[in-house]
Amino acid sequence: MVNFIKDRSSRWTLPADAWIGLLVIIIAVAVPFVIQSRYLLGEVILALIWAGVASQWNLLFGYAGVFSLAPMAFFAFGAYATAMLSYYLGWSVWLSIPAGAIVSIPFSLIIGLACLRLEGVYVALLTFAVAQMMYLLIVTDTGCFQQIGGSCVQFTGGATGFSDFGDFGMRPLLHQYWMIGNYAVVCCGAFLTMLVSWIVIRSPMGLAFRAIRDNPGYAMARGVNRFRTHLLVFGISAFFIGLLGGLYAVHFQAIGPTVFSLSQLLFVIASVVVGGVGSFWGPLLGAVVLTGADEFLSDFGEYRSLGLGLIITAFVVFLPRGLVGEIVHLFALWRRKRQSHV
Amino acid sequence: MSSLAEALLSCRQVSRYFGSLAAVKDVSLDVMPGEVLGIGGPNGAGKSTLFDVITGLVPASAGSISFAGRSISGKGADEICHAGVARTFQLNAAFEHLSVQENIEVAAHFGSTARIFPGFRVAASARAAAAESLETVGLIGKSAQRAGALPVFDRKLLMIAGAIVTKPKILFLDEPVGGLNRDEIDLIQALIERLRTSGMTIVVIEHVMRFLLTLSSRVIIMHHGEIIFEGLPGQVAEDRTVVDIYLGQGAAQRLRAHFSDTQHA
Repeated sequence: MVNFIKDRSSRWTLPADAWIGLLVIIIAVAVPFVIQSRYLLGEVILALIWAGVASQWNLLFGYAGVFSLAPMAFFAFGAYATAMLSYYLGWSVWLSIPAGAIVSIPFSLIIGLACLRLEGVYVALLTFAVAQMMYLLIVTDTGCFQQIGGSCVQFTGGATGFSDFGDFGMRPLLHQYWMIGNYAVVCCGAFLTMLVSWIVIRSPMGLAFRAIRDNPGYAMARGVNRFRTHLLVFGISAFFIGLLGGLYAVHFQAIGPTVFSLSQLLFVIASVVVGGVGSFWGPLLGAVVLTGADEFLSDFGEYRSLGLGLIITAFVVFLPRGLVGEIVHLFALWRRKRQSHV
Repeated sequence: MSSLAEALLSCRQVSRYFGSLAAVKDVSLDVMPGEVLGIGGPNGAGKSTLFDVITGLVPASAGSISFAGRSISGKGADEICHAGVARTFQLNAAFEHLSVQENIEVAAHFGSTARIFPGFRVAASARAAAAESLETVGLIGKSAQRAGALPVFDRKLLMIAGAIVTKPKILFLDEPVGGLNRDEIDLIQALIERLRTSGMTIVVIEHVMRFLLTLSSRVIIMHHGEIIFEGLPGQVAEDRTVVDIYLGQGAAQRLRAHFSDTQHA
């Protein structure tokens, strides 16, 4: 680890990442001791899930420059796969969550094969169409797959979705503190997601992602295959987004077609934009800040999407670097000023 | 044009159309191992498009290209890079948000072999090659700087370093001294001379004729997508068509004077 840190050129950012990471872990451990309210802890869990998804969208868009609007499709795929494996086959959720994450990879590669030949806004259009198609296929599914107690269950769960397919088993274990157990599980999932994306970003993979984002033609001329690299980032992000989807489904013990809603997608994108596109800690901060803001926005019901849209617009116009980007920028200015004085 | 030695790169009747416009039209040329082939001609003559076609960034509309005995027609730019063809760009291309070091590491890690899975560490050999090429062009002291913040001259050097770190057999330079002052031109010229001495085959596009003619062992002039002249550097200013279409009388006279000076000296 120390070795890994020492020989990078942008030296100061790495120890900083390690310190920030430590601070984040300390806060994460302290949260269940500080927050007594089960409702608030639930909100923190949600913020962590969105932070994980946002970090993967940041990997896609901020680092690799792939403007995919399908993150919620992979999220739903992981969530549905988890729910269906447990519901139909009776798998333990501890098995169906990783299985859901793993099957998200081939799913994303199939979509990637179709979408990633294109570039820029066309990728956005096609991935958005895929997500909408999945949504429509699920809500229009009316054929009875199973009859349970006189009511009909569609294969995809239809408009109602799945519920009661299993949980983390924290209630018999922790009694009234079961939410803390759920929090710990989701925390581990989000931590794993962020740790692996950090490793990916610092590896030659991250180098290739950023090179293609900066200048695709030049990257090709230096031997980087755009299509294959984009498939790789698609697969990596789909695994973790699918994993978080599974955790989400099991935490709520329910999953339905509402995860495809535009406001969920906007929330993920807004988290990245608010935190800082292309900055590692941005999505985490963005998701936490927006979950807080969402507490107010949700009081306005259907105006939630409007509020998120306004937040995205305001940041793009006034703070295009995002919160973390601005902090890093100010820090760099301060350093330069200090150096010029010395 | 035909020679007993085997050409390193050969183009046969290569054309590239944009709609009905022929940017490159029926170009056939051979590049011999170890030579420096200069390409000149007015703006819009198709020089850069020819580079784009050869290096796989733009597919040819017709014709065939072979490199080191293998056909590279229709191959992707990354495959052609792996085969040993590297290039620089007229617009000073760089990975703007990456550091100088990272710019070269990308090329070093991905440039010489296809990597299905890029791995978790930049290969030690790639790291060493990166340091070596930065040393060669003289950017080693600036390796931590962001590429986007470099001045024009350093960006040109960065592009050359990124090209040579892929260990090419042939190097295509697209206007390596465009926009540079005389001292900088001399530095680039010395650098290219060093590369040539190390055995690299070089094809160079340039408008700065004195630079082009001094450096090249053979010169091609293009106009409207076609080759209108091919010969030795000393013959360029003597050719009627080239003088009429491209150089003009004044420049031709200055070049002639320059060459007779260097010959007498």
